Amino acid sequence: MVGVTIDHLVATTAFIAAILLFVGLFAQTIQAAILYQQNRHVAFKASDLLDNILLSPGYPYNWGETNDTLSCFGLQKPGASGYVLSSFALMRLISLSGEPVEYPRDSGKWYNNISLGPGGYLFIPISDSINYETASRLLGVNGTYGFQLSIKPIIEVSISEYQSNPLKLKVEVNGPGFPLSGANLSYYLYRSYQTGQYPSIELSIGTTQTDSSGVTYLNFTFDGASETYTIVAYARLSGLLGLGHYSHETFTKGAGVIPFVVDYEEGKVYLAHSWDVHDTGTPVPNYFYSATFFILTEEFTFQEWPIANSTGQINYGGGGGQYNYGETTLPVGYPGFLLVTYRSGDDYGMCIMPWGIGTLAVSTLFGGNPAGNVWTATDLRQVIVDQMAYQVQITCWSLSGYQIWNSRGWF
Amino acid sequence: MVILILAVAFGAATFFAVLPSPTQIASPNLRQLALTTLQVLDANKALAKVAFEDLGDQAWTDLEIALSASLPPNIVYNLTVYDMVEVGDATTYSKVHSITNSESGLGTDSEASTYLVTSTNVTFTVTPQKISGTLYILNCTDANGWWITGYTSQSLATDLQNLLSPYFNTTVMVQNTTDLGALLNGNEISSFPHENVTNAVIINTCGEAVPIPSMYADLFPRDSYAEYCYELGKRVNQYNWTWVSIVGYPFYYVSNTVKLSSSHNSWGIYGMRNVGSGGLNSFLRGLDVENYPSYSYDGSWITGSPGVVYFSSNASYYSNYYGLYPSPYQTATRALPSWIQGTYHTTVMASVFNPVSDRYAAATFKHTGTGAFTAIGLTRTPDIRITGLALLMYYHPIIYKSEFTLTAGERPTQRLVILQLSQQGGG
Repeated sequence: MVGVTIDHLVATTAFIAAILLFVGLFAQTIQAAILYQQNRHVAFKASDLLDNILLSPGYPYNWGETNDTLSCFGLQKPGASGYVLSSFALMRLISLSGEPVEYPRDSGKWYNNISLGPGGYLFIPISDSINYETASRLLGVNGTYGFQLSIKPIIEVSISEYQSNPLKLKVEVNGPGFPLSGANLSYYLYRSYQTGQYPSIELSIGTTQTDSSGVTYLNFTFDGASETYTIVAYARLSGLLGLGHYSHETFTKGAGVIPFVVDYEEGKVYLAHSWDVHDTGTPVPNYFYSATFFILTEEFTFQEWPIANSTGQINYGGGGGQYNYGETTLPVGYPGFLLVTYRSGDDYGMCIMPWGIGTLAVSTLFGGNPAGNVWTATDLRQVIVDQMAYQVQITCWSLSGYQIWNSRGWF
Repeated sequence: MVILILAVAFGAATFFAVLPSPTQIASPNLRQLALTTLQVLDANKALAKVAFEDLGDQAWTDLEIALSASLPPNIVYNLTVYDMVEVGDATTYSKVHSITNSESGLGTDSEASTYLVTSTNVTFTVTPQKISGTLYILNCTDANGWWITGYTSQSLATDLQNLLSPYFNTTVMVQNTTDLGALLNGNEISSFPHENVTNAVIINTCGEAVPIPSMYADLFPRDSYAEYCYELGKRVNQYNWTWVSIVGYPFYYVSNTVKLSSSHNSWGIYGMRNVGSGGLNSFLRGLDVENYPSYSYDGSWITGSPGVVYFSSNASYYSNYYGLYPSPYQTATRALPSWIQGTYHTTVMASVFNPVSDRYAAATFKHTGTGAFTAIGLTRTPDIRITGLALLMYYHPIIYKSEFTLTAGERPTQRLVILQLSQQGGG
């Protein structure tokens, strides 16, 4: 009798253990399936969200060219069809790629910094820019999904100095998957020189073709080390268009003249003294500048466009709330770039600012930070911005559900 | 035994519940990537040029390089171009050329998009037949609208002009109620040589309100200007007009911001006077003036609310024909009843929606004599594409499509490009 009872207890225990073991195993399978469904849903959401953003101009339709408050978020170029984006709407997005800049320093006025590399600036008032929270709310995903948009040119055109005297520049043209061999390359070289008090620019134009590794060399007759110049080169092959720029200056005492877009809707730009942004010590240079705006035509050529106060002098502010700057106005809605050449003594400098992000193939990163999320879905589209081939990649993640991370920790 | 059963059950469940690889869970939308890649490659018609080049041409090599350069490294592709040849009613496709960067094929997980390119030496033209008669659009700056929430009558007038003017020889914007008064008196109001008051189409962009000229307000004030609506109906009959109401209950208000500046429509909109449901009855009596030779008032409410209504088969056809794509189902709360055909001697023509409970949500009621009334009895806010579709269905102008080639049609004019993409690795 005792033996039977013990057998019964052992059998029951074994039975319960087996049940518990297999419940756990089944639960793991079910949990994996649930996670699969959640993640697949995030992937669908990423694709939907990307198309919603890229195929709608938002409202007001021309919000990229105004300071208007948005009631609907979208990046499509007004009046265009398909995946064609507004380069001005992209310019109003607060970029994650550059640290905000305060101008004048200690004034409390902050500017969105779309980083362009040496000699290239694009500073838009943060008060005129669209932040991630606003976009997220208008898209209806606030609190449910997070996203980040990476908008960058498909074709990268890199320019570097290969030889200084005589100047020889190396241009490399690459796509994300392959170098662009046999591409037609055109360039505009703007060289600074002195005529009287204010510097001027001399333009050289040329065309060439990349070799089988997507590389070409541009030869010039002057000494690159002792000259100040900016080159803008674009490569074209079978519908793809990419652009790059490079600047060299002989001025080495700080950043020189820095353009700030102070009134976005009016196109008002201040040409600021670098001392008003960062104290670069004494002596503080005195600048004589010339500013030229080049507009992008439908044939993808750059034509000069007359602007107000194209020459002037900028001395440093000296504190007391007094700041000196040049002021000019750019045509709203017309993409192009502003080229400023300046002189301090016998040293020359140059800076360039795109007006509409496509004209200088600027990249921008917009949205939230996906760090810490176990699962993010990505999707991408090829788009056109100012005739330039761009790629837009979205990274999307869920802010609710299982195995997600938010400010309060893991869920 | 229990362990054996559970183990078998678990094994079976695991065997059948195979979860896909992470790549399959969240792969990029390759179909959209393919489509957008083709669109980018066709910027400035570059792809269209390549698709018609000879096979040995450098352009094909350039296209291959551009494709390889533009797609992410883990994506393989196959681009194929087909000739499209129309034989009778059928279209046949024959392969012209194919380029790929995958030697072993793209596998079963690939996605494809198609893109139609037209030879760059071909021109297509689309010429609509012109509707005889002038199109008048009420763009009265001195009249307010109602039930056009979110729009102004002026913005609607501009949209309608853009939408419909290609189908008319002459389009005239009626800028104020004074011009409307002149028009009602049978006078031309523009310097356009082909303006013709008779057989015209008049679109009222003020929604449920109708502009009233000061002179007509003085002459026909009875029953809160219902008498004016009767006069409008008479003019429609007299000049063989087609009067178009774009939304809601027609003639429910009259508006003149100067003459009626101290009146409001009972909802706080000044410059407007509430006529009520009698306005529509008066208009219909005026339209049927042969049987209602003098004005009399009838204030009964005659429209109905059938709710959601759906495109008729004719509307679906013409929606495609004219390239107008409003939603094929809409909400109707002011649909006209079928019985007005008998009472006011009209015939329903070109109904946009299938009738529900003998009510027509958007249709043209043609009087047996002269004149017609197009009423869009949908709820606010108006979609002027419905108005455009209703009018085009009524007049059904022909769209002439022409194709011109410089090479006497020796080469096919259209080619189909298919880009197939597949993701490699990451499984």
